[in-house]
Amino acid sequence: MNENDEFKGDPIFERAAKLDKAIAPSRDLWPGIERAIAAPRRSAWDTVWAKAAMALLLVGGSSGVTYFAMQDEATVVTEVGPRPALVFTPVSGSFGSRYHLGPDFQDARQRLRGQLEAELEKLSPEAQQEVMSNIEAIQKAIADINIALAEEPDNVLLQELLLSTYREELALMRRVDGIANAAMLRGDI
Amino acid sequence: MQATLAAGAAETGIEEARPVTSYRADEVRLVDQARAGDTAAFEALYRANVDRVYGLCLRMTGNAAEAEDCAQDAFIQAWQKLDRFRGDSAFGTWLHRVAVNVVLGRMRKDRREQDRIRAVADVVPQTEQQGNDAGLDDIEQAINGLPSGARHVFVLNAVYGYSHGETSEMLGIAEGTSKAQLHRARRLLAQQMGIEE
Repeated sequence: MNENDEFKGDPIFERAAKLDKAIAPSRDLWPGIERAIAAPRRSAWDTVWAKAAMALLLVGGSSGVTYFAMQDEATVVTEVGPRPALVFTPVSGSFGSRYHLGPDFQDARQRLRGQLEAELEKLSPEAQQEVMSNIEAIQKAIADINIALAEEPDNVLLQELLLSTYREELALMRRVDGIANAAMLRGDI
Repeated sequence: MQATLAAGAAETGIEEARPVTSYRADEVRLVDQARAGDTAAFEALYRANVDRVYGLCLRMTGNAAEAEDCAQDAFIQAWQKLDRFRGDSAFGTWLHRVAVNVVLGRMRKDRREQDRIRAVADVVPQTEQQGNDAGLDDIEQAINGLPSGARHVFVLNAVYGYSHGETSEMLGIAEGTSKAQLHRARRLLAQQMGIEE
């Protein structure tokens, strides 16, 4: 017992203190642990790449999920309660040596951000939750890729990954908004 | 390398008879070796600690299979985070913290906790039924029936002897909440076990 003097002599606490602290699992867990730790420890660079790759998978997966969720929600208009406001990190105007986020991209992102809040209100709580979690996943991906880019600013693969992630963000917001305007031209970005 | 602690204190009882300083010295040496990439040293640490880690996971999750997964994950995470172990506490205590984080993380992901298996047979291992005084089974069952918040605090505090400060830090709750949950757990256990207040 520790500082629980108020429970000193309490039969429940006395019996709890007598319970075995150590219990053997039904199987040896070591083989699974050994397999997991057998791979050499990854360098920071590997970790950054892993994050970037995970970001790509995450973004792709989240967009797909949201697409289907939005399909189901196409005709549903529901009043919902308060939910946390979306926070968007400002986008850097350029990254790497090849890509520059032009004013059209910045404007479109700004406009869609404003409309997104209003459109979300029309969705069911479940769909809102889905969209919010996907946007968070995309924003995390952008943050992770930016960390990787900070280490390798001229890495073209990372630049393209960031570019496609920004596109995914735009595409997601468009789907939510139901905006059917023409897809942005590559020249906008 | 010979696994100095591999036999495990709980299995042999020999290690328990050794001076604590000697045991800690072995532990520190093994941690240093494991940190340098020596998996045999880490296996020795695993053998010495797995039963206590699994026991904690089992009581926190209430499910044997889930507890095994949690214990396994805890050791994998411990290997990955060995650099962060500064030796301020015993390695076993640090492992417990890692295990609690793993359990809480998995529970957050898995909202199906309400469906967890409540069967006593799944929670109370054979060794415990044989090794303890008669009458302990009902408290194990009663602990397993507690709501998760109260159960986690009771297990860490009353079963494993962590202070409210340590408990609250492990669970990421306020110390006052830990105290309140302990009282709640005590009240619910008394009701379940038919003990008068």
